[in-house]
Amino acid sequence: MFHYARKSYYNYIDFVPKLFLLAIAFAISLLTIKESPNHLLNHVSFTHALTWFFLIISSFTLFFLKKPQTIYLVDFACFKPSFVLRVPFAAAAEHGRIILASQPKSYDFSLKILERSGLGEETCIPHPLHYIPPNLNMTDARDEAHMVIFSAMDSLFQTTGITPKDIDILIVNCSLFAPTPSLSAMVINKYKMKSDVKNYNLSGMGCSAGLISIDFAKNLLQVHPESYAVVISTETLTPNSYMGTERAMLLPNVLFRIGGAAILLSNKMSQHKHAKYKLLHVVRTHKGSDDKSYRCVSQEEDKDGHVGIALNLDLMLTAGKALKSNISTIGPLVLPVSEKLKFAANILGRKFLELDMKPYMPDFKKAFDHFCIHAGGRAVIDELQKNLGLSDEDVEASRMTLHRFGNTSSSSLWYELGYIEAKGRMKKGDRVWQIGFGSGFKCNSGVWECNKDIEATKAGAWADCIHRYPVNQPKVVKL
Amino acid sequence: MMFVTLSCSLALCLVYLFYNFIDQRRSKSCYILHYECFKPSNDRKLPTEFSVDLINKCKNLGIEEHRFLLRALVSSGIGEETYAPRNILSKRGTLATLRDCQSEMDEFSIETLDTLFSLSGVSPQDIDILVVNVSGMTLVPSLTSRIINHYKMRADIKSFNISGMGCSASLISINLVQNMFKIHKNKLALVLTSEAIAPNWYNGKERSMILTNCLFRCGGCSILLTNKPALRKQAMFKLKCLVRTHLGSSDEAHACCRQQEDDQGHIGFFLGKALPKTATRGLTKNLRSMAPKILPLSAIFHYVLLVNIQKLRATYLHNTAKKRVTMNFKSGVDHFCLHPGGKAVIEGVKRSLVLAEEDVEPSRMTLHRFGNTSASGLWYVLGYMEAKMRLKKGDRVLMIGFGSGFKCNSCMWEVLRNLDDKNVWADCVDKFPPKLPIYPASRNMNGF
Repeated sequence: MFHYARKSYYNYIDFVPKLFLLAIAFAISLLTIKESPNHLLNHVSFTHALTWFFLIISSFTLFFLKKPQTIYLVDFACFKPSFVLRVPFAAAAEHGRIILASQPKSYDFSLKILERSGLGEETCIPHPLHYIPPNLNMTDARDEAHMVIFSAMDSLFQTTGITPKDIDILIVNCSLFAPTPSLSAMVINKYKMKSDVKNYNLSGMGCSAGLISIDFAKNLLQVHPESYAVVISTETLTPNSYMGTERAMLLPNVLFRIGGAAILLSNKMSQHKHAKYKLLHVVRTHKGSDDKSYRCVSQEEDKDGHVGIALNLDLMLTAGKALKSNISTIGPLVLPVSEKLKFAANILGRKFLELDMKPYMPDFKKAFDHFCIHAGGRAVIDELQKNLGLSDEDVEASRMTLHRFGNTSSSSLWYELGYIEAKGRMKKGDRVWQIGFGSGFKCNSGVWECNKDIEATKAGAWADCIHRYPVNQPKVVKL
Repeated sequence: MMFVTLSCSLALCLVYLFYNFIDQRRSKSCYILHYECFKPSNDRKLPTEFSVDLINKCKNLGIEEHRFLLRALVSSGIGEETYAPRNILSKRGTLATLRDCQSEMDEFSIETLDTLFSLSGVSPQDIDILVVNVSGMTLVPSLTSRIINHYKMRADIKSFNISGMGCSASLISINLVQNMFKIHKNKLALVLTSEAIAPNWYNGKERSMILTNCLFRCGGCSILLTNKPALRKQAMFKLKCLVRTHLGSSDEAHACCRQQEDDQGHIGFFLGKALPKTATRGLTKNLRSMAPKILPLSAIFHYVLLVNIQKLRATYLHNTAKKRVTMNFKSGVDHFCLHPGGKAVIEGVKRSLVLAEEDVEPSRMTLHRFGNTSASGLWYVLGYMEAKMRLKKGDRVLMIGFGSGFKCNSCMWEVLRNLDDKNVWADCVDKFPPKLPIYPASRNMNGF
């Protein structure tokens, strides 16, 4: 409670000097209006005119100084894997049967997961993972990163028309692969960017790292005016395929797929008309202080020494709790007054009057037109749909991304946004809510407002298959 | 009457603008409240004899590689008291498990942070920004999450886990915090900088990759920063400026320091022959941007004059004998904090900047006592200067770091009060600098 009071104090204390000045300005205008216009014109001298002039200039300067910079999303490009890399169910089942021949129980478990995963037949994995057993080495991991990142960057340069030398800020997030030199240095080398580009390489931050990078880029763009920032969100599967047979650690092998996105952000005034979206808010929530939340996704060694990521059974519960935490911060920023009042009344009733009421989940459909929920798995999407009271159409983008591309980790939110655009549903003024979850446990939200009507293009990751969607994926696909 | 009101309102506007300007300048300042370098326990010391034993036991190495390594060890400038990961010193050998890596990081973070929190009086729940940079390892959940969980930090903390950015990453983390401070007022930030030695020990025999085993040692530093004007009185340093230079656009520079697999599949750090040349280029480029920000006008003017005189001599007197003209950095900098990457690095920078032996002494002594601790090396060098009571109020410290990519980052700190804490050097600073040359193992090398 105290924490919220302190936060509100810091948010509103800035207003006091502004209010003071506004009061003065109001008083002056009243005084000037009292005197008749003729009287005014007769008494205007050079000093008067000069003073007026400086007053207007000062007011404008004040206004522009205090106004936070608008951050625009100029465009984004998702990596479109080649058809050659696809892993249909038959291939996955066969590979699993051969690799896990010594552990039939583990094989059955993997198969069951795959049947209920919500993935389709066209998801892709990198070359080395097509081998039996997978051939994991650093050179191949680098090649995978090259393929994904450079392909996305090339598309981005093509659609936006900017050159590599224009980029001032570069942020790369790739959770499980951080070679030296960093992936950001690799991008700078490939595209010969300028020597004072501000680059950062974030790693280990899980599937929500995309929004962390966006938040970081937003902060950097507030400091550096008239700049372009490129955020690259990807995940490299090659070095991290689990080579053991422990059940809890086989899940990522079944769900994670190759993917990546490159996003161009800017605070240039000239992008005001051309940019696709405006960034309204990014809210980050970290539940690491709670031990249960912290342990639900963790990297471990099994008894044979193989390293893999273990997903705990109470992952859904943790995700729900983290989301509630995040909503309590983002709610007040985006909800209309009616919902805020209902929520406040509910809190009052439950906490202060101690009435027996169910916690009220605000209706976010009144605040947002589109939802991009991290395509972590069918269970995640189902759980969030239930929690937020969303319809099937609202979560269609997430489900279809899971079907076509699988769980591409931090870039899944961008594939989902690409789906909504490819379907021609994005209109000017529409608000989008992106929700990402990640190990730690983190829940991050990003709110965008569409800046112009977006037409479905011939380019893009969805261009060749959007006509086949939406698909009705049964709950269990029998293999 | 109207004119009076108009002028009053204009005056008010201008006063407010001025107040705004000053307020923003104050809150954008980046202060170091406290820093704590990591000193591992004595059972983790790696004497030269042990290293020699390790090299001898290594079945992968042939006789030539043995000689090369032993020579490298002897002339590395590294002493008998540097620290290694526990698994190297144990009988288990040099292959590290996930648990070894996690415990290496936990030991560093918990010990330094416990000390940092108790000495500074700040509680973990007050931290608003957390940045961890460990180049050679990624864990899930990230190291930042590990720390947030251990210390039960707040849910709205802004955490960043930086990886792969090499030995200059601590200055990159400082840059990150500096940028965050410009947007967010009244915040406390924590930066942890270290390197994971356990998972990066090279088990192969490539000469260009085996050197890292001789140079890199365990170490780390936790730094507490703030932009709260109220804490200025307790602060140790103030950040004056920071310049980052990236030579990644040059293929040669990009490839001179790279993590890769050798022919047998062992992963290690390849250090190319172009490394010294690249480092010099990087340093020159960086200092070109840095110099105007830190040097007095007289020094810059003097340099420009000399360069032009030389050019005129070359054109008119056909006197092409070039005497190197260098900028006098000592006019704007009192102490030099150079990355203790190795003897060659320190010698190279000393030559480039025309420094005296006492200017590079802190870096040499750090290399001897702690080895090359990668990104955190600069903070041990700073600790040495502090332990020797050389940091007085108003002094200016220039930190220069190099990293793979190729990056050269530098920053200037202003000392805000006389500093006298012996910190991690407490037990040995009086022994430095040693009167005899520091080649301890040469007597055991039997002609190698």
